[in-house]
Amino acid sequence: MPIHDQGYRHYGGQRSAPGRRWAVIARAGVRTMFSKRAFIGLLLLSWLPFFVRAVQIYISTSVPQAAALVQVTPATFKDFLEQQSIWVFFITVYVGAGLIANDRRANALQIYLSKPLTRVEYMFGKLAILMGFLLLVTGVPGLMLLVLQILFTGELTFFRENLHLLPAITLFSVIQALTFSSTMLALSSLSKSSRYVAILYAAVIFMSQAIYGVLRQVTGDTNVAWVSLPANMTQVGSAIFRVPLQYKTPWPVSLTVLAGLILASAVVLERRVRGVEIVT
Amino acid sequence: MITSALRIFDLSLGQMLWSRRSVFLALLAGGPVGLALGIRVILLLTPAQLPMVNGARMSGTAIFGLIIWLLYLRFIIPVLGAFYGTSLIADEVEDKTITYLFTRPIPRGAVLVGKYLAYLLCTILLVLPSAVIVYFIVTPLGGGSIGEQFPSLLSDLGMLAVGLAAYGALFALVGATFKRPLVVGLVFTFGWEPGVLIFPGYLKHATIAFYLQALVPHAMPNEESVVGGILQLFNEIPPLETSLASLAGITLVALWLASRATQTREFVLDQ
Amino acid sequence: MAAIIAADHVSKWYGQVIGLNDVTLTVPPGITGLLGPNGAGKSTFMKLVTGQLKASKGAVTVLGEPIWGNPSLYFRIGFCPEQDAFYDRMTGLEWVTALVRLNGATEAEAAAMANRALDYVDLADAAGKKIGAYSKGMRQRVKMAQALAHDPELLILDEPLGGMDPIARRKTIRLIKEWGRSGKSVLVSSHILHEIESMTSNILLVNQGRILAEGNIHQIRDLIDEHPHTVYVKADQTRALARAFLSEDDVLSMKFEDGAVIVQTARPDTFYARLTALAASGELGAIHEVTSPDDNLQAVFEYLVKS
Repeated sequence: MPIHDQGYRHYGGQRSAPGRRWAVIARAGVRTMFSKRAFIGLLLLSWLPFFVRAVQIYISTSVPQAAALVQVTPATFKDFLEQQSIWVFFITVYVGAGLIANDRRANALQIYLSKPLTRVEYMFGKLAILMGFLLLVTGVPGLMLLVLQILFTGELTFFRENLHLLPAITLFSVIQALTFSSTMLALSSLSKSSRYVAILYAAVIFMSQAIYGVLRQVTGDTNVAWVSLPANMTQVGSAIFRVPLQYKTPWPVSLTVLAGLILASAVVLERRVRGVEIVT
Repeated sequence: MITSALRIFDLSLGQMLWSRRSVFLALLAGGPVGLALGIRVILLLTPAQLPMVNGARMSGTAIFGLIIWLLYLRFIIPVLGAFYGTSLIADEVEDKTITYLFTRPIPRGAVLVGKYLAYLLCTILLVLPSAVIVYFIVTPLGGGSIGEQFPSLLSDLGMLAVGLAAYGALFALVGATFKRPLVVGLVFTFGWEPGVLIFPGYLKHATIAFYLQALVPHAMPNEESVVGGILQLFNEIPPLETSLASLAGITLVALWLASRATQTREFVLDQ
Repeated sequence: MAAIIAADHVSKWYGQVIGLNDVTLTVPPGITGLLGPNGAGKSTFMKLVTGQLKASKGAVTVLGEPIWGNPSLYFRIGFCPEQDAFYDRMTGLEWVTALVRLNGATEAEAAAMANRALDYVDLADAAGKKIGAYSKGMRQRVKMAQALAHDPELLILDEPLGGMDPIARRKTIRLIKEWGRSGKSVLVSSHILHEIESMTSNILLVNQGRILAEGNIHQIRDLIDEHPHTVYVKADQTRALARAFLSEDDVLSMKFEDGAVIVQTARPDTFYARLTALAASGELGAIHEVTSPDDNLQAVFEYLVKS
């Protein structure tokens, strides 16, 4: 008579290839956020400007008398992405503040990193959650507006004349999402309290803007815009969309500041995301 | 109630002052000091004169006014109020220490009021000296007189204290009512207040900033943005008495409601 | 004797999750153990009787008064919560003093009461150390100290032995028993049966949000008619005793074991009466020991949960 083993049975299914395990973290995070009604409400609200812009595009193409008032230009798309920045802020705070802080609070980092999951995969998974949501309120509606423009006019003239718009929307959205996500993730790794992280993030964004406001008035020009994170983003956006720059700060300087911020965030994450805390 | 609140105040003050969050508070309060020092050093090192604004040369007093408006009024005061106000009870719930306070013979409302008083003293002790230091650093720039402008500094300090009290009370109410109070606080601070202030009509009366602006002895700075322009256009300053009465009313009503909410709400701790 | 705690058709739910389901009970003075596996509803019950939560339905009274929204009742209650949470930057003495001050004591009185309480829980030597530097056992004891410092009539202890080493455990058990002996009441919860067994025989059994049984452990055991009651009898003449036992129909089965006979009976009262008579007559030799191995809480609990 065969005797069946009643003990622990090891997993016999397929294993995902190394390097793709970040997707598990990302999927779990996305699912968690979609299970929150308040978040879905926030996401829906963040799409309201898209509908306003869609109406603008419709009117500009269908009502010739109003076309001059609501004219659609490459700046329309840049303005739309910039106006989404308040939603980007709220979504970054809502989704991002607890991404690593909550894991640190629950001592879950040790558990995650004791699995066949590298630190890079863990960080990439977390980054993917936030970037995914940010692109959902910037790049995705931005590109959809471009598609709507083509659909409403029924011709490709505007698209052909502004071929740079497609890569511009994509690139600017990615830069926005990457900068804000990596900054938030780095801050989230610094504390165990998501509330503390949220306020730190607000401080980084708004204090830099307030300091710029003071310096601009004191110096009398906009050369010092590089101290403000939102101003740097605007400057890079203007360069990408080929519209006149808003500040005197050269756009490569703004781009360097943003790149520096991403790099600094990466360094912070590298030091803080560890299974075991290193006390020095 | 008052005695109980004072005992909670006594217990909480040390906790607040020596917590790691005070590092954040010190950073915020130190930001304007750093900025003022930076401006002073740059002007010392470079012989450049202060720029002309509206035909008149920028002075140290004007710079102080700018810092009060843009850093303290629009940023530090609401952010500190949001951070500490929403944390009064939430911190104890998150740390699971609320049980020790709620199983003592004191009304729950007294716990909130005591913690609010501790917040107020703690923030006043850090923000007001910071404003005084900034005043002493920047006022002499461009030939300004520290003595002449001193009464205006006192008004600024009073305004900052009143602002901390009003924002703290409002966000204490938010903290006692909402599940994610800080997000609500940030939406109010960076979404609602700047949003409705640009509209003419009564909507702006539903903000704290509207009343607080009346207490600032400096002119509102010109801002380059569209929003800044509209702000200037619809800038309406209520009378001082109205502002003070409104801010006192907001503080007392919000605190009373927060205290009632704490009294009746159940706080379920995470297992 | 007046009930210390009374629950009248009390239910508590969190959204769609039921924490406690239509519980009616009374807790008499003395030490009472609240027993149940993890997730049984013990913590919900503790939070209801300490006024941290409000019953969704029904009424909870403690020392004769409703507890929810009645802070003055905390003058008479001391509560030691389960969670390992403190103001870590304070010393044990500072922390207990600060909490006792909330009971209305002056600084000097509070310090004296805190010192006494810390001494009572064997923490006098560590009173000046920061709580953050305490071991788990010390942290449990400092929690006990804050609960009993103001000399309450009723001490409510939620899992007080969790994380303690065996020596600290024994000390704490002794302390709880002493507190009970001094005429005060204690409600103590645990999911470890022998811990409660070593403190009291008066228990409340909770499972899946319901009270399975309440009262004396022996009385509860007797109520379980469908489960045979086991009696271990160590005697000189076990075979003769067995014959005598079998003469009545209250015995279900028997087995022998090293100078003892183990009897299973469906009617323990009748059987014990007969056994007492037999022992008193001395006809069948000396009876050295009578114990009921399944009278312990583990057995009772298992029976009740299975039934």
